[in-house]
Amino acid sequence: MNWVLDILALISLAFGLFFMMVGALGLVRLPDVYHRIHAASKATTLGLLGLLLAAVLHVGTFGVATKALLTIVFAFVATPIGSHMLAKAAHRDGAEQWSGTLADDLAEDHPTP
Amino acid sequence: MTRLRLVIPTLLTLSTLVLCSAPAYAAKAAQAAQTVGENMPSHHDDRTALGQFIVDVAAPICVAVLLIAVCLCIYRMIRGPHLADRVLAGDTIAILVVGIVAVFSVMLESDLFFDAALVVAIIGFASTVAFSQYIGAKRKTDDTTTNTPPPETPA
Repeated sequence: MNWVLDILALISLAFGLFFMMVGALGLVRLPDVYHRIHAASKATTLGLLGLLLAAVLHVGTFGVATKALLTIVFAFVATPIGSHMLAKAAHRDGAEQWSGTLADDLAEDHPTP
Repeated sequence: MTRLRLVIPTLLTLSTLVLCSAPAYAAKAAQAAQTVGENMPSHHDDRTALGQFIVDVAAPICVAVLLIAVCLCIYRMIRGPHLADRVLAGDTIAILVVGIVAVFSVMLESDLFFDAALVVAIIGFASTVAFSQYIGAKRKTDDTTTNTPPPETPA
């Protein structure tokens, strides 16, 4: 029984590490602000889920489980809100867009003066 | 306004350095906790071989990769052409620090640092919201000061 929990912990550790690294690489490699917000917020939220699940599965005490659940719920609510606000603010500030951008519906709805 | 453009990245970089020193303190506290734990009877002696592998090999590799990710974020924070890039890098570093704390609790098999993880997550979210309010409001003030309508010329 114990080694099943260990295998699950190792799998979720690798899951979280993969998404964390993908988020950081996307933050460096992608061409403009909106792509970077997309990569960083989604990937790091999933990565945090994996790492905290690994902590819960490996340690397995009640304190770790409650605090990790609280952190996961907070991260899944707060990160999309924060990245949405950041993207909207960057758009309003007139941040530079990638040259391959096809459509900008927000600029059509609310044209900047 | 131009002075703020210089001051805010400097503040962000300094706070990043403070955040990055958190794992060092966590490692020191980990050593202290281990020396305390050696004197007390441990209930982790029934650890399997795979659990020993996670503690000894997988978790340090995880910490190393997460620190590499923090270095990539610091690169984007220094390089970032727009202020939103720097703020985004700071937010990502906060999330990475929460992940590092989670891996440390795997290594230690205790919940000593989970409160710190929650506090870092909340502070990261609050700072992102505050900075995005600042970025979004900045353009509006610029418009009212610079884009005043030209005086009408008589036809």
